[in-house]
Amino acid sequence: MTKPSDLVQGTLDMLLLKILALDPMNGFAVSQRLKQMSGDVLQVSDGSLYPALHKLEQEGWITAEWKTSEYGRRAKYYSLTRLGRRQLEKEADNWGRLSSAISRVIKLKEA
Amino acid sequence: MRPEHWLFTIPLRLRSLFRRAHADQELDDELRDHLERASEQYVAKGMAPGEAQRRARLDLGGIEQTKEQCRDTRRVNRIQDLIQDLHFGLRILRKNPGFTSIAVLTLALAIGANTAIFSAVYAVLIKPLPFKNADRLVFILKKNAPRGWSRNPISPAEILAWRNQTEAFEDFAAYTESSCVLTGAGETEGDPCETITSNLFPLLGVAPYRGRNFTSEEDKAEVPRAVILSYGLWQRRFGGDENVTGRSITLNGVSHTVVGVMPANLSHLYASPYGSVPGMWVSGIGLAAEHTSNDYFGVARLKPGATLAQASMQMDTVSMGLEKVYPDLHGWRAQVMSFRTNSSADTRPALLVLIAATTFVLLIACANIANLLLARGAGRANEFAIRNALGASQGRLVWQLLTESAVVCLAGGIIGVLLASGLCKGLAGLAPDTLLRAAPDLAAGTTNVRVLGFAMLTLIATTFLFGLAPALQSAKPKVIETLKEAGRSSLQSPQSRRFRSALVVSEIALALVLLVGAGLMVRTLAELIHVNLGFNPKNILTVRAPLSGDRYKEPRSRAQFWEQVVARVEALPGVESASVSRGVPITGWNGQSFTTAENPNPPVGQVPDANYIIVGPDYFRTMQIPLHRGRGFNDHDTQSAERVVIVNEKLARTSWPGQDPLGKQLRVGDDAPWLSVIGVAGDVLSQGADGGIHSETYVPLGQYPWLLQGPQHLVVRTSASVKPESVIRAVVEQIHRINKDVPVTDVETMEQITLESIAQQRMVMALLVSFAGLALALSTLGIYSVLSYSTAQRTREIGVRMALGAERGSVLRLVVGRGVALAGLGLAIGIAAALLLTRLMTDLLYGVRATDPLTFVGVSAVLGASSILACYVPARRATKIDPMVALRYE
Repeated sequence: MTKPSDLVQGTLDMLLLKILALDPMNGFAVSQRLKQMSGDVLQVSDGSLYPALHKLEQEGWITAEWKTSEYGRRAKYYSLTRLGRRQLEKEADNWGRLSSAISRVIKLKEA
Repeated sequence: MRPEHWLFTIPLRLRSLFRRAHADQELDDELRDHLERASEQYVAKGMAPGEAQRRARLDLGGIEQTKEQCRDTRRVNRIQDLIQDLHFGLRILRKNPGFTSIAVLTLALAIGANTAIFSAVYAVLIKPLPFKNADRLVFILKKNAPRGWSRNPISPAEILAWRNQTEAFEDFAAYTESSCVLTGAGETEGDPCETITSNLFPLLGVAPYRGRNFTSEEDKAEVPRAVILSYGLWQRRFGGDENVTGRSITLNGVSHTVVGVMPANLSHLYASPYGSVPGMWVSGIGLAAEHTSNDYFGVARLKPGATLAQASMQMDTVSMGLEKVYPDLHGWRAQVMSFRTNSSADTRPALLVLIAATTFVLLIACANIANLLLARGAGRANEFAIRNALGASQGRLVWQLLTESAVVCLAGGIIGVLLASGLCKGLAGLAPDTLLRAAPDLAAGTTNVRVLGFAMLTLIATTFLFGLAPALQSAKPKVIETLKEAGRSSLQSPQSRRFRSALVVSEIALALVLLVGAGLMVRTLAELIHVNLGFNPKNILTVRAPLSGDRYKEPRSRAQFWEQVVARVEALPGVESASVSRGVPITGWNGQSFTTAENPNPPVGQVPDANYIIVGPDYFRTMQIPLHRGRGFNDHDTQSAERVVIVNEKLARTSWPGQDPLGKQLRVGDDAPWLSVIGVAGDVLSQGADGGIHSETYVPLGQYPWLLQGPQHLVVRTSASVKPESVIRAVVEQIHRINKDVPVTDVETMEQITLESIAQQRMVMALLVSFAGLALALSTLGIYSVLSYSTAQRTREIGVRMALGAERGSVLRLVVGRGVALAGLGLAIGIAAALLLTRLMTDLLYGVRATDPLTFVGVSAVLGASSILACYVPARRATKIDPMVALRYE
């Protein structure tokens, strides 16, 4: 079982925010999209996904509503809030800074 | 978090809190929806439906764990969990009424005792005194270190010198105690009263409730007298009359003008053993530089920044100057004490010992309950393992166990606080006057906010103290092991067994310390009660009847009054004899310097002194003080006869060692006439059972008619079969037949007086004995429960041993051996601790050393015996184990 701690701390939140920023969707779809987008590299178990989604909801970054899906099934759809969008920008910035800094270090030529 | 953020989150939290069922339903729906979709996907990939569902569930991890994690994100879980835990805890506790009632009762007793004693500690040692900047207020007495005397009243000469020649004080006031007989308004009554300097109340920062303070003009002795009433007297005597100021009342036959009324709560000033709460304050103290009337008490306010030490040093310098002017004052130095020290000096050691004792009781109670909880926790291992497997985290389980403990604790606490107010009333009944004067709230049994706060803190501390360790122990996730053992009772881990043993050992050690303390107090009290006081306190009634007014101005009229009283009282049925005296043993001390003819000019500082008692003819017979040599006083010892004195053994021994004291001469004061010793009386413990023996001089009343100013004691001995209380009415009636305006006060039996003088030791003993009894019961219960539990756990092992041929005797040894080892260790630690701790109660002991071997051996034997008894019961049960049953049992 892969735990979110296998991801860099806090990145799961950012990924979820990003996915929901593109399109409101339900939990199952988020799980599918996560696997697709990351090319199965990021192993996020469904068991970690739901607590993470609920945490984002409780933080007020995403909001949920029950909608009837295309097949007549009721499902919980998540979408980004204004606060969530701001949070995503902040985290994306941080991530950008962090990853470019790490890249710079890694690319240093050995003397 | 920003406020904007709250807009989103608060409704969410509220929803989770109040619409929990709805939120949970949604969570279920969401996860079910996910599972359906996921298994559809697997089916689409060609998997069999059953297998697809299984895979989908596996992907989600444990469904219940996932749900619990999702719920955890809601943040309000703590509150919901708490409510749930409370429900569950109450259910569990209801199911175990035995455990619950023992635990609640134990805690209630421990918390009740703690709270009650803390009320007393708070009232005496912590509660702010009702005076402005009370930390700068000091009480001034004097001490004579070379002679070992302290807390003696001071003289006007010293007051004036200390007031005028020091820099440390902002203000310096003084008062002297007397008795005021109030005639006129209603029935005549004698009240304690004080003559005070006009600055006393302003110095204390106490404003009159009605009217005004005295003026400095009124300090002079010759101006018309003014009086300020106490609130109590104003209510009782004058019905709270608003127009009382300006009224004229007659005190001791002299007219006084009422100028004010003081507020109700002034008693702290009078918490010293020397004071009683006065009914009124009188002006006209008229301080003159005179050093022989040592009847005054000083009260002063330090300047801001000045310290007790500075004040003390400056006053010592002044005292050295005074010694040169008045050689009598040699060795006397000011004794400056903070108000707190002065009011609590007598009760502090007792209170500290008691609060330590109740803390011990509480600790023992906690250890006991922790032990019970651990035993229960082991029994609930299966329950915890299953809950853990279903997604409850260890933290969650610990919280739940703590909640259960808190429920027990709360129940115990509520009953405890209720008990405490009852205990306070009981305490007030036992407490010596000095404690009650320092803590007027105590008698009322009222619990104040701070005391309740203390009880709350104790509760919280207690919950953690006894709840946390068992909770941590029990909630350790040992899912696999426990479930594998399912059905079989799990063996205790060695760690938990060691912990429980440690609890029992400390219980026994604590109990031993308490028992030693109680034992020492019992021995002390036995010594105090059985000590020979030198007189027979049984069947003696004492009353005072202060004379005042024009009618008793003449010495002759006063003498006549007392002659009549004695004659009438002696004629009463049941009365054997009666006499009068100025002072009775234990209630007062009238020390006077004297010189003997052999040594008329002792070096300064070595002038001997003795208690100076003026007695009527039948005093020795009435008090049953033996006369060892010579004769007693008789009617011929009048002013015209030779001046005579009776001394006690101690004085005879120290003043005329190895000589016949009869016929020797001594005199009290430099210019006084010489007195011939005509008799030697037995020594009397005139300062109470633990006050030691001092020199005493008795002089005949007939030779000192002019000294009969103040109130006199009438002492009445009833025959052995007649209780002294039963003649009170008749005695009062006889006095009032002679003059109905003479008030009768201080009606007490001599036994009451002696009991009151050891009230503090009685109180400490009664409380320590009850606490120690509780400790004994709890620790015995503790060792019993540990052994029965471990024996129950080892049923199988013991069964195997017996099947293999172990004798009953060896099984008995196995179990008892463990108990005895625990008890022995506890006793050893307890004895070591007691040797260290009982030293702190040396102040309270009499006739017994803090390390009294008899007490130590005795209480160890009691505790050891009860521990062995506690071991024996489970051990016998172990020997009754049937090997066949035991082996099948698991």
